[in-house]
Parts: sequence; structure tokens; C-alpha cells
Amino acid sequence: MAVANVSTHGASAHDHHDDHEHSDNFITKYIFSTDHKMIGKQFLVTGIVWALIGGFLSILFRLQLGFPDMDMTFLKPILGGWIDESGALDTNFYLALVTMHGTIMVFFVLTAGLSGTFSNYLIPLQIGARDMASGFMNMLSYWLFFIAGILMFISLFIETGPAGGGWVIYPPLSALEQAIPGSGLGMTLWLVAMVFFIASQLMGGINYISTVINLRTKGMSFSRLPLTIWSFFLTAIIGLLSFPVLFSAALLLVFDRSFGTSFYLSDIYIGGEALPNTGGSAVLFQHLFWFLGHPEVYIVLLPALGITSEVIATNSRKPIFGYKAMILSMLGITVLSFVVWAHHMFVSGMNPFLGSIFMFLTLIIAVPSAVKVFNYLTTLWRGNLIFTPAMLFSIGLVSFFISGGLTGIFLGNSAVDIQLHDTYFVVAHFHLVMGSASFFGLMAGIYHWFPKMFGRMMDAKLGYIHFWLTFVGVYMVFFPMHYIGIAGFPRRYYSWTNFNFADMYTDLNMFVSVAAIITFGAQFIFLFNFFYSMYKGRKASLNPWRSNTLEWTTPLEPGHGNWPGEIPTVYRWPYDYSKPGAKEDFIPQTVPLSSTPESNLPHEAEQVKLEREIMAEEGSDILVANESKES
Amino acid sequence: MGFLIALGVLLLVSIIWMVYRIQTLVSVVKGSEKKVATGSNKVNAALFLLFLIGSGVLMFWYSIKEFDTYHLPIASEHGVVTDNLFWVTMAVTGIVFIITHILLFWFSYRYQYKEENTAAFYPDNNKLEILWTLVPAAVLTVLVVSGWKAWSDITAPAPENAHVIEVMGYQFAWEFRYPGKDKQLGNYDYRLINPTNSRGIDFTDKNALDDFPAQKVVIPVGEPVLFKIRSRDVLHSVFAPHMRLKMDAVPGMPTRFWFVPTKTTAQMRAELKDDEFVYEIACTEVCGGGHFSMRREIEVVEPEEYQKWFAEQKTFVEMDPALIADAPSEIKELAQIESAE
Amino acid sequence: MEEKLAYIEDAEQPIAMHPKKFALWLFIVSVVMIFAAMTSAFIVRQGEGNWLEYDLPNILWYTSGIILLSSASMHWAYLSAKNDQLGNLKIALGITVVLGLLFLVGQWFSWEALVERDVYFVGNPGGSFMYVFTGLHAVHLISGVIFLIIVLISSFRYKIHSRKMNTMEMCATYWHFLGGLWIYLFVFLLLNH
Ligand code: HEM
Ligand SMILES: [Cu+2]
Ligand SMILES: [Cu+2]
Repeated sequence: MAVANVSTHGASAHDHHDDHEHSDNFITKYIFSTDHKMIGKQFLVTGIVWALIGGFLSILFRLQLGFPDMDMTFLKPILGGWIDESGALDTNFYLALVTMHGTIMVFFVLTAGLSGTFSNYLIPLQIGARDMASGFMNMLSYWLFFIAGILMFISLFIETGPAGGGWVIYPPLSALEQAIPGSGLGMTLWLVAMVFFIASQLMGGINYISTVINLRTKGMSFSRLPLTIWSFFLTAIIGLLSFPVLFSAALLLVFDRSFGTSFYLSDIYIGGEALPNTGGSAVLFQHLFWFLGHPEVYIVLLPALGITSEVIATNSRKPIFGYKAMILSMLGITVLSFVVWAHHMFVSGMNPFLGSIFMFLTLIIAVPSAVKVFNYLTTLWRGNLIFTPAMLFSIGLVSFFISGGLTGIFLGNSAVDIQLHDTYFVVAHFHLVMGSASFFGLMAGIYHWFPKMFGRMMDAKLGYIHFWLTFVGVYMVFFPMHYIGIAGFPRRYYSWTNFNFADMYTDLNMFVSVAAIITFGAQFIFLFNFFYSMYKGRKASLNPWRSNTLEWTTPLEPGHGNWPGEIPTVYRWPYDYSKPGAKEDFIPQTVPLSSTPESNLPHEAEQVKLEREIMAEEGSDILVANESKES
Repeated sequence: MGFLIALGVLLLVSIIWMVYRIQTLVSVVKGSEKKVATGSNKVNAALFLLFLIGSGVLMFWYSIKEFDTYHLPIASEHGVVTDNLFWVTMAVTGIVFIITHILLFWFSYRYQYKEENTAAFYPDNNKLEILWTLVPAAVLTVLVVSGWKAWSDITAPAPENAHVIEVMGYQFAWEFRYPGKDKQLGNYDYRLINPTNSRGIDFTDKNALDDFPAQKVVIPVGEPVLFKIRSRDVLHSVFAPHMRLKMDAVPGMPTRFWFVPTKTTAQMRAELKDDEFVYEIACTEVCGGGHFSMRREIEVVEPEEYQKWFAEQKTFVEMDPALIADAPSEIKELAQIESAE
Repeated sequence: MEEKLAYIEDAEQPIAMHPKKFALWLFIVSVVMIFAAMTSAFIVRQGEGNWLEYDLPNILWYTSGIILLSSASMHWAYLSAKNDQLGNLKIALGITVVLGLLFLVGQWFSWEALVERDVYFVGNPGGSFMYVFTGLHAVHLISGVIFLIIVLISSFRYKIHSRKMNTMEMCATYWHFLGGLWIYLFVFLLLNH
């Protein structure tokens, strides 16, 4: 295959057209690859594996919640000593399962698996770059994530069990081994794994930002960037600003755990002895944690929203409605996401005045989110909708985003949050708005870009079945949790039978568990489709969704360097769908305005002149911007 | 069991496989690969509509039918306020929820692909954008302001005459302490904790001499009650669902929450026609393996009954005179005077 | 006219910065966030009372001076490289390395001074924070010294001169940043201890 030889370190714009064979061997091609496309795929496959593990853990604890009297002896082969003689699940291990499930889903699946996959895969392809700013750092980013994963995985199997203090690892519980077995070695592994993870995220983020800023192809101004790129870009900025704070929080926790300092610990009597620590503040950790934790929600969500914007526009055959408003609302979310963290702490004992401030700030952030929803709806309005599986998942995402976003208005109101905090209402809320919405964004992205990634199509019918089972399933799992939450059921409970006020809904909980198992099972349809289509799927055409963005101008299976010849120049925004007067219902970004006089809008007609001038000036040897910049 | 699971998985896989094969064959026969949108497009569009109607009906039916199950009776003054806010928010968001979902699924159905149609080229409309920025902002402002008022009232300092009760969380239960006749809780220090003094009360402080423990929280109806909340080991959170009360217990940082109970336990029993009913306290901050079992009861009684109960309680010192064995002699004397009274 | 400007701007390469240099700046941002978090934590925690008060070791004034000096010698190195005075370049870089190491030694003595004041890493957070600030900064400074040494070595191999300034510029940026970071921390401590 003819592949452009692109070296980020190569001396200068030497001839990129030479047809020499790639001399990649297995290791440099599939393992230590510096090609952003391969790294994206590595993130994807790793993310899928983690999603299976995380989902499986949730099934385990859903079994406990749905069928509290069940004899779980049959799980002994996997869980060993965590099932006692009477077949009951260990209560500490229940918490460990919940903790690992949360950590895995939030960080490994929806941060690395979603943003890692698509930022890597799409940024260079959609902005017209040969690769990331630093392919090496990109590779390092993946392998650091991989190491984090290995450590976290090992922690599942150690004697004292994995971390068990919740994914938010609030001290003192997470600091004291005496408090819960998971806070011993399990917590240490958790912390070390997260340090690797943070390093990985920072490297990835630095790369994404510098690539978007520096390596856009000619004509690709910020006002012509696809919304996907905008979302990845802003996500990376959020990550760059918030992950270091998690690092600081974790570092101080490590000192408290291993060196005896008292940043978070004070006045504790546990295990029959009074600890020497005084003067620490447990609430301090919560501030630091949520300074990352809340932005993290948007780190997870924004890429999904970006993907949805792209998929909905393409498959509605309409420009995304309010491109500028979409960007502004994302910018608004980016900024505001840093000033709402303490809404997780209304009843933590912090100063109630702070609570009032954060209530105001929190409800402001609902506005840009609402704007996004209205814009999606208007994009669908009077479209010509093609329900590809990706489109279905995107519509599902919008539905979840609405359902989960609205319950945020309850929780952001500190007076109402008193009752709802740490109940199943919260579990329902974040699973819809962050868990399921982002998960659907991930799925939409996979179905949409699979043809680009693997040169083959996924099967659409299986995709439909997968979607409907998952869509209905997710609602069956998480919608009932609202009722359970309003009734006051606290979260992270092993069972509720101790309490009169919560000693009901056994049937509803059973229903939820069964629905969860079915939904989880439905994901195997996807898995089959994914891996089978990779090798045996129908060959894809070059632009199967008739989309405008740059990635569809590459060869079917682009090599390292993406475009065999020059990188195409961009002449228009990415959403010229169904433009009046145009021959086709889409005009790719690479089509000059001058060649589409029939469909140009008045202000575009003026730009045509300039475009001609510039093309004439430069003649045929238009240097692609980022190639000339190589040092 | 393992065998059954394996069988199930095998079955599932083979079903997927068969569906897959059959439908590829069918689509090859029909030549539908080439078309922009296949017949499935109609099916999917219709399913969205079906989903809208089906799940809408289900939601309304269940929400109405089960209202009494998930709606916890309220037993505190501020609880009425916050519940009102809750339901107002529910009304507002409920309307938005329904309208947006009708639009979402109706559009999906109405504008499904038709070969003869073209989509409208409608890239933006600034008036609309401004409209739907300002309207949510205005609605949210109303909600926030009313929420803020409620929040300020709830978190305001407790009235002078509030009955003070100390609530201490530990792995895995709660302990309560009443201040006794002097209405002053004695000091405590976590270093004083030992098996006989589980709260670390400082018995050299004379305020501690008449403090007494209780197995459950007993409070008078209609009078303000102040919980002084602390923790001995890790974070816990006091949750009294019927009182709409929740506040974390933090080691090293005492917290508080005050409220006015509005219904006695007896009244609530009559109202719910449930003789077993009790108000409960649970823990809502994960604190370890026994987190789900930190149950205690609250008993709300008439004020007279409360006074009577209060007078009958035995102080720590009365129960275990050894507690003041090491205290200075004047404290011992004080203790004697008190128990003589 | 407005259109024209906009258009030409679009066609131009947006930022004429070397991607690696840009990445360094982003890295600096993340380091800033780490210390912003730490100093905020310091303030939040201090606000809650029960805080250990003590005098800052005097040696910190000297180390602050040293780090400022090292920034000056770094600038000298930068100018020398720019003007192709390769001899001076080596001397200046060497001085910077020595000053950097001296700074680290000074920080070590500041810890000893703290211990003399009965302020320990383990104990009241008021003291622990002091160690965390200096320690965490020292770790970054060590990375800076390593970077310096790498640059020094490449200067011996004649790989740094007026037409190859990238590495030099990055190293200088990072070093000045580390100096500035320390001054920030020092002023912060002076104002808040
Ligand atoms: C198979 C689908 C899933 C099911 C059935 C499920 C179920 C649950 C349940 C019941 C809990 C609460 C357990 C408790 O509080 O005792 C929980 C916690 C959680 N889940 Fe999921 N979940 C699923 C998928 C996801 C996804 C996709 C995410 C990604 C955001 C996610 C994130 C979390 C988080 C962050 C927690 C909180 C963990 C903690 O309390 O520390 N879950 N899940
Ligand atoms: Cu948040
Ligand atoms: Cu608890």
C-alpha cells in the first residue's frame, strides 16, 4: 500500500509522495505505535474491556440488591472468600465492588475509553494533520493508562480486597486501614494507579491542545472546526486544569496514609486507640477532590456531546442548529464547571453561606446545558432523518441528557438536596446524565467511525437491536431509582431491610436487577458485531454517511500520515448539508466555495473572489501548513 | 450453575449469530445495501413514537399508583418547605421533561427520511437562541431564590430555647447524649475515650456531671431541637428521612442541624394507620462494612411527656460513679449534690 | 475589508509556536494547577483554626536570592547561545547548574532549621504544608537541573547555537518558571504564615 512517509522529526518538507513500503513490524504497528489512529484504537479496545469488567461488577452487586436472600455460593469460583459459608456476600466487599465499579466506569471507560479514543482518533483526521503534535508522548499516554489499568486490576485480587471507600475516596475512611480492609493495600494500589492515570491524561491533554492549536490544515480556522474537535479541545483544557488538583489531593492523602501527617485526619479514635493526628480537615479533601470531580463529569460528557452534534447533523442532513451557540455553551460549561464543585458538599458541614453561593453558580450551569438540548431538537426539526445506529444512540443520548439534567436542578438546590443527597435519586441522576449519556456518546462514536477505523461496516440491524435493548434497558434500570431515591433509600447500602422506612420495594429492586442483567447481556450483541465486523464486515465505501468532515477524504484505510498526498485544504464549515441549490445534500469541507456558485450564500459569494486570488497566488504547490512548520 | 451459565451464553451467541446471518442474506436478496435508508428506518421511527407513548403511560401510571409508597410523610417544619420546593421543581422540570421528549420523539418520527424530501437548511436563529437562554435563566432564578431563602432559614442559628442533643457517629452506630438539667453539654476530648467512656466526655467539666445518655432520641413535638453532630472515627451522616434532615458527622469538626418536629410518633401512627411506625435515623455517608446498619430511632412525644422522661433519666455518673474517680474533689462533691437533688 | 482580513487570517498558520514549546507551556500550566491547589488547601485549612505558627527559616531568603541569580545566569546562557558565544554558553550553563544545586542544598538546610524550631513534617498541618511546598518544588527543580545538564551536554557537542535554539529556549522557560514558582511560594508563605 502506498503510504505517505511522515516523520515528525524529519528534516523538512521533503517529498511526501514517495511510494515506499511501510516497514512497521508487529510491535511498532500494534503495540508501541505512535500513530494516533492505532493509539485511538488501543484506547478503544482497552476501554471496552474495562467496560465489561465494570459492568460485570455492577451485575454482582445488583444481584445482592435485587435478591438479598440469594445463595451466592455459585460465585465462589470467582469471588472466593468474599462469599461466606451461608452464601452471603461480604459487606466490605460489596463496598469494594461499588467503588471499583465507579472508578472503572468514570475514569477508565468514560474518560480514557471515550475521550482517549476519539480525541486521538479524530483530532488529526478532522483538522487535517498528519499526526499528533508528539506521537511519542501520545504513545506514552496510552501506556501509562495501561499501567494504571494493570495496577487497578491487580488490586481486585489481593487478600484485603480493592479500595472500598467509594470512588470519591473520602478520608478518613480511605486513610485508615482499621476502618475498612480495602483501605490497606487496595487503596495504595488505587492511588498509585490514579497517579499513572493522571500522568496519562495530562500527556494526552497536552497533546490534544497543542495539536488543535498548532496543526490545523490550511483554511481550518476555529470557526470551521467540527463540534467534535471543539468538544475534545475543551475537554482537554478542563482535564489539564483539574487533574493536577486531584494529584495534589491524592499526594496529601498518601502522606497521611503512609507518613503520618494530618492533612485530613483529626481527633480519631478507632480500633480501640486514639490516633495522634490532630488539626486535619476531612472537608478539605472533599474540596480538592470535587474541584476535579465536578469538571470530571464534563470531561466525560463533553466529548459525547461533540460526537452527538456531528452524528445528528450528518444524519439529519441538516446543519447543526446554532453552531456558534453550541460553541458558546460548551465554553460556558467549561468555565462554569470549575466553580460549582461544592454542590456535592451541601451537607458536608461546610459553611452554609458557601452552600448558597454554590447553589447560585450551579443553577447557572444548567442554562448552557438547556441551550444545547434546544439546539439538538431544532436540528432534528424539518430534517430528513436517517436512523443509522449512531443516530439512534445520539437521539438516546439527548433523551438521557434531558432526563438526567433535569434532576440536577433538584440536586443543585441546596434546600432540596438535604433530603436527596446520597440517596438513590443521586444514583439515578448521574447514571443518566453522565453514565448513560456518555456511554451512548461512546456507542454513537463507535458505530459512526467504525468504517473509518477498520474499513468495514458494522451490521446495522444488530446495531438497531443493540440500541433498543440498551435504550429501554437503561431506562428500566435507572428510572425506577428515582422513586427509590425519593423514598429516601441511601446509596452504598448493602441492604435496606434494617430500616422500616426503606423496607419495601423489594420487587422494584428485583426488577431493576433483572433489567440490568438483560441490558448487560445486550452488550454482547455489540461485542459480537464489533469484533466480527472488524474482520468479516461488509467493505465500507469511502464516505458511507455522506459526511462533510475531513476524515472521509482519506483512503479507506489511511496509513501513518493519513493522506497519501497533500493534506487537503478546507474552504468551508463542516455543516453544509442540504444547502439550497446544491447538487448533493452535502458539500465536504474540501470543496472550494468557487466551485459551488449555485449554492453559495451572499456572504460566501464575496469570499469566492478572495479564494480565487489566494489560489492563483500560491499556484499548485500549496504547502500544507503543518508540514512547513516541521523543524 | 456454571454449566447453566455457559449454556445460556452459548445459546445467546448462537441466536445473535442466526439473526445476523438471516438478515444479511435477506438484505443481499433485497439489494437494500445500496439505498440511503432501508425499511428499518420506518421501523425505528415508529419505535420512537411507540416508546414515547408506552413509557409515558407507564411513568404516569406508576407515579400516581405508587405515590403513597415513595412519598415519605413529613414530620418537621422545614420539611414542609423543602418538600414544597421539591414538588414545585418537579412540576417545572416535569413539564420541560414531557415537552422536550414529545418534541424529540415526535420529530424523530415526523421527519424520518423520505426520498422526495430535503432537509431545511436552517443553520441558526439568534432570536431563538436568546429566547431559550433567557427563559431557562429566569425560571432557574425563581427556583434558586426560593431555594436560597429556605436554605438560609434552615441553616440559620438555632433558637435559644432549642433542646440540645449530641449525636455521635462511630463504626457502626450512633450514640446520643443529653445535656441534663443545666442544658449544657460537658466538654469532650477524643483522647479520653475508653471502653467505659465511649464518648470521651471530660468529667472534670462540671457541665458533664448531669449529662445523660439515651438509647433513642426523644424529643418534644413543636419545640426546636438542635442536633450537635460529631464523629469519633470516619465520616458518617445523620439522616432522619421523615424530618428531612441530613448532616455529615465529621471527626474533628462538629456540625449541627436544628429542626422542629411537627408530629408525635403516636400522631403519625394514627395517621398512617400503622402501629409499628417509628421515626428512624440512618447513615448516609459510606463509613465501612456496617454502613447499612447504623439504625436508631427517634421518638417524638408531647412536651409534658418529654419533661417527665427527661427527669427520669440517669446521668452517666450515676450509672458509673467510677467515671469521676480521678476527678478533683470539688467535682465529686458537685456530683453528689446533683444526684441528691 | 473586514472580510478580507478575516479570510487571510484563516489561511495563515494560527500560532507560530513550536509544538513542543507549546506543550511545555501546557505542562507548566498543569504544574501551576498543582501548586494552586496546594496553596488554596493551605488557606482553606488555615482558615479553620488550630494552626501552628512559627517563623520561617532565614535561609529561605538566601535560597530565594540564589534562585534569582540562577535565572540571571540562565539568561546569560540564553544570550550567549543566541550570539553563538559557545564558550560563555558553557560557563553560564555550568553556573546555573551549580546555583540550582546550591539552592537545593539550601532548601535542605531550611528543613533542618524547621526541625530545630520543632516543626516537623508529621504533626500540625501548618508545618507539614511547609515541607510539602518546599519538597514538591524541589522535585520539580531537580527535573529542571536534569534538563539543564542535558542542555549542557549538548552544548559540549555543539548542538546549541543561534540556529538551534529550541531546546535552549525551552530549558530557559522552564528554569525561569521554576524560579518564579519559588518566589511565588516564598511570598505566599511570608504573607500567610
Ligand atoms: C451496567 C450498567 C450499570 C449499572 C447496573 C449500574 C448500577 C450502579 C448502582 C446500583 C450503583 C450504586 C451502588 C450503591 O450505591 O450501593 C452504582 C454506582 C456508581 N456507578 Fe453505576 N451502573 C452501571 C453503569 C455505570 C456507568 C456507565 C457509569 C459511568 C459513569 C457508572 C458510574 C457509577 C458511579 C460513579 C457510581 C458511584 C460509585 C460510588 O458510590 O463510589 N455506572 N452503579
Ligand atoms: Cu458536580
Ligand atoms: Cu455510614
